[in-house]
Amino acid sequence: MSDQDHPERDDRVLAGEYALGLLPAEEAAAFEARLREEPDLRALYAAWAEDLAGMTDGIAPVTPPDSVLAGIESRLFKPARPPRYRGLWLAGLAGAAAAVAAVVLVAMLLPGVLDPGPAAPEDPPLVADVAAEDRSLVVRAAYDGTDHTLFVEREAGAAPPGRALELWLIAGDGAPVSLGVLPEQRQAKLPVGPQMREDLAGGVLAISEEPPGGSPTGAPTGEVLATGQITNT
Amino acid sequence: MDAQDDIEDLIARVAIADRAAFRLLYARTSAKLFGVVLRVLDDRAEAEDALQDIYVKIWANADRYRVNGLSPMTWLITIARNHAVDCRRRRPAREAGDPEEAAAVPDGAPGPEFEAMRGADRARLAACFGELEPGHAEAVRRVYLEGETYADLAARFDVPLNTMRTWLRRSLLRLRECLSR
Repeated sequence: MSDQDHPERDDRVLAGEYALGLLPAEEAAAFEARLREEPDLRALYAAWAEDLAGMTDGIAPVTPPDSVLAGIESRLFKPARPPRYRGLWLAGLAGAAAAVAAVVLVAMLLPGVLDPGPAAPEDPPLVADVAAEDRSLVVRAAYDGTDHTLFVEREAGAAPPGRALELWLIAGDGAPVSLGVLPEQRQAKLPVGPQMREDLAGGVLAISEEPPGGSPTGAPTGEVLATGQITNT
Repeated sequence: MDAQDDIEDLIARVAIADRAAFRLLYARTSAKLFGVVLRVLDDRAEAEDALQDIYVKIWANADRYRVNGLSPMTWLITIARNHAVDCRRRRPAREAGDPEEAAAVPDGAPGPEFEAMRGADRARLAACFGELEPGHAEAVRRVYLEGETYADLAARFDVPLNTMRTWLRRSLLRLRECLSR
């Protein structure tokens, strides 16, 4: 069907609008219902999807930081019993107030609903004291080899107003690689990707101040506020 | 086995929950998809979060890859682009399509594998965009890569919403006719 005066009645146009995400939700749902029933419409949609995807050909690939894959894998393949809960039990919190125990119990039953927050690893193989020279910013870091995360605890200092603190790993003469932006909470666990794990031993951690959300370029852009050598325990 | 078969095979293995295949698929495709997501979102932290969501979707939907008959890279790019556009459209109304911001993201050369895969298609696409009325190719590009809506375009072209819709639909029809020749 072709109708120059009423292009909205042409399935070729409708398929294009759907592929571009221009249809309101109701019309998009109606189109999807038709897609399931009509092979010709599926072919029209596929033709648009292929052609439009061609617009990304000129976009340069950018290697994402290791933390992305680590984050995906921890979301998809997380262990049945996350280590942080075990850590809480072994830390002796079971003997604390009944209310706390109840929260932990609920948290175990409903992972992700109530998160008691990260706990320090019990026996970290690698640690670092990332500090400013005047100790105005001190972040303690400990690597947890069981779930490949870096536990960080901010003991002193904070991000300058309107800025974020980003943690970097520097291995040898290599360029700094982001381990992630430190959250406002004092404690956090940052995933460490497979490629970065090997670089931790003997590496240096550094904290720079960056725009909210972290460096837009993938390299430190702000002032380096603190550094610390990673050491074996 | 060429790159396309390879990725198709990996998606098929991901569909049966093969973690090693998932890691390989990520290794082969994440730089391309991250480039696309960065282009749409222009915010590194947001793009990293979005990329995580995208690969979680890929894992969850790999068994339905065949349904729409897309090539494997198109399927992956479409998931990435659509998710990134959703993220961008959910943002609080700021920087609605600032042209300088868009220009600030460099469009570098594509990877050789994509160049080889689509060289002819790419030329055809450029030629057909060239046949559209001035501004309309840019409008389609902004919708696809920046998630602009009819309302955004109407504001940009300073025309009523219905006029914009009619214009763009005509351009889509011309584009489809040209691309199908």
